[in-house]
Amino acid sequence: MKKLLGLALGILTAIGGFLDIGDLVTNGVVGSRFGLTLGWVVLVGVVGICLFAQMSGRVAAVSGRATFEIIRERLGARASMANLGASFIVNLMTLTAEIGGIALSLQLASSISPMLWMPVAAVAVWIVVWRVKFSIMENVTGLLGLTLIVFAVAVFLLHPNWLDLGSQLLGQAPKQSSESPATYWYYAIALFGAAMTPYEVFFFSSGAVEEKWTVKDLAQSRMNVLVGFPLGGILSIAIAACATIVLLPKNIAVTSLSEIALPIAQAGGKIALIIVLLGFVAATFGAALETTLSSGYTLAQYFGWSWGKFRRPARAARFHLTMIIALIIGLAVLATGVDPIAVTEFSVVFSAIALPLTYLPILIVANDPQYMGKFVNGKATNFFGMIYLVIILVASLAAIPLMIVTGAGA
Amino acid sequence: MSDTDYPEETYAGRVLDADLHLFDRQVLDVDGEPAFAVDDIEISDVPIGLPLDPAAPAPVIESLLSGPVLATRTFGGRPPSSRLERIPWRHVSDIGTALTLGIHSDELDATWTERWVRDRIIGRIPGGRHDPE
Repeated sequence: MKKLLGLALGILTAIGGFLDIGDLVTNGVVGSRFGLTLGWVVLVGVVGICLFAQMSGRVAAVSGRATFEIIRERLGARASMANLGASFIVNLMTLTAEIGGIALSLQLASSISPMLWMPVAAVAVWIVVWRVKFSIMENVTGLLGLTLIVFAVAVFLLHPNWLDLGSQLLGQAPKQSSESPATYWYYAIALFGAAMTPYEVFFFSSGAVEEKWTVKDLAQSRMNVLVGFPLGGILSIAIAACATIVLLPKNIAVTSLSEIALPIAQAGGKIALIIVLLGFVAATFGAALETTLSSGYTLAQYFGWSWGKFRRPARAARFHLTMIIALIIGLAVLATGVDPIAVTEFSVVFSAIALPLTYLPILIVANDPQYMGKFVNGKATNFFGMIYLVIILVASLAAIPLMIVTGAGA
Repeated sequence: MSDTDYPEETYAGRVLDADLHLFDRQVLDVDGEPAFAVDDIEISDVPIGLPLDPAAPAPVIESLLSGPVLATRTFGGRPPSSRLERIPWRHVSDIGTALTLGIHSDELDATWTERWVRDRIIGRIPGGRHDPE
């Protein structure tokens, strides 16, 4: 019984933890402009993140080595320093976007200016990182994030034309949409980057070390990922579907979180709106914690410092100092008055650019018997791993040219 | 060089490839706490530019290096020998997916930045010396 409960908890937190500000915004924007014609990208992204999150978790559980230690060990000091620079900056952008996202969500709930909420959000994130146990942090934000299921419910309450939605999923462009192929592919890369953000594997593998996983926990972790993430992906598509049903016909552009919540208010009124705002706060807060921790994880693992929330802060001093500095930088960027939604849109595309640097070393080490013993990748995992490496590489190379051609999706 | 050029003697113990098994590995202390990463290694002197004396003893690893040496290894150049943060090889007790030391990381000079940050900043913030709850 206890085991079953643990399994359910793991799956639920994986669903709730899957969505962050990047997924919320990108799916909303895509739904309002392209309908569900990019739904296949979410599918491709979810399979990819399942594959590599599971792989990095297995490497961490078997060898005790988290992802960035492996990146350094396999790519060498020089190449991995370039990787560290890129990953750290992308992660910092994502962290900034998440803090901004918390503030925007709280603004929707309170109508107090987001500028005032930003420092509150950053301090709250720091206190949790400083004092709260890893497992409590994971479970609370994950479970509260489950309230975003309201998007899936809203799709039904809005009584859409199912035939239209279905044909869009199969690639039939909606009548009202007049987008160029270049913007279509630009947003395809953005969605892919949002689903496969590198911080997720940094966090997942380091979390495995934090929670002291061993080979015995592998079956459960595989279940969490293989069930939880696809359900999270369905929620992503539900967000896009809500935007497709309500925003696309009226030509409403998504420029803030309020447009993303609009279909929910229309479908379920005040109560649904309260639920979705709770979901926004939980999802962005959870992701802000994950990205803050990831900034510490990547730097500490590269330099070989002591790290981890299971230690008291004084036993991982440089790790905690890194996170404090990352939060301060994020706040400073937000204080300039940049639009957090714009930061989010750039962060998902830059995530896509940085992907190959993260995923190649994981694939190499997952095949190394000196690390993995008999738990090396099977043939099927390697086959899909190689296919994804090609997809990731193409997305990464195409991202910047497409960004220039489309004026960042304008 | 063909395979036959290698000396034919067999060695007791394991053959390690410094590049594959030492460089850039995580080093843990005797309690399993991460201490540092192997940024470089220092081997005993090999005369440069002179013909090797076949009877001379093979060079041995004298110490692991960590800290500022990483910058010169990455960007080129060579720090003066007095500036190297050395961890004597005799402290290494095991080599696996990480290297393990036989002593505490706090006993090493090379980890002074961790102690500095702990004593000056992190340890002074309330809750910094307590377990998370």
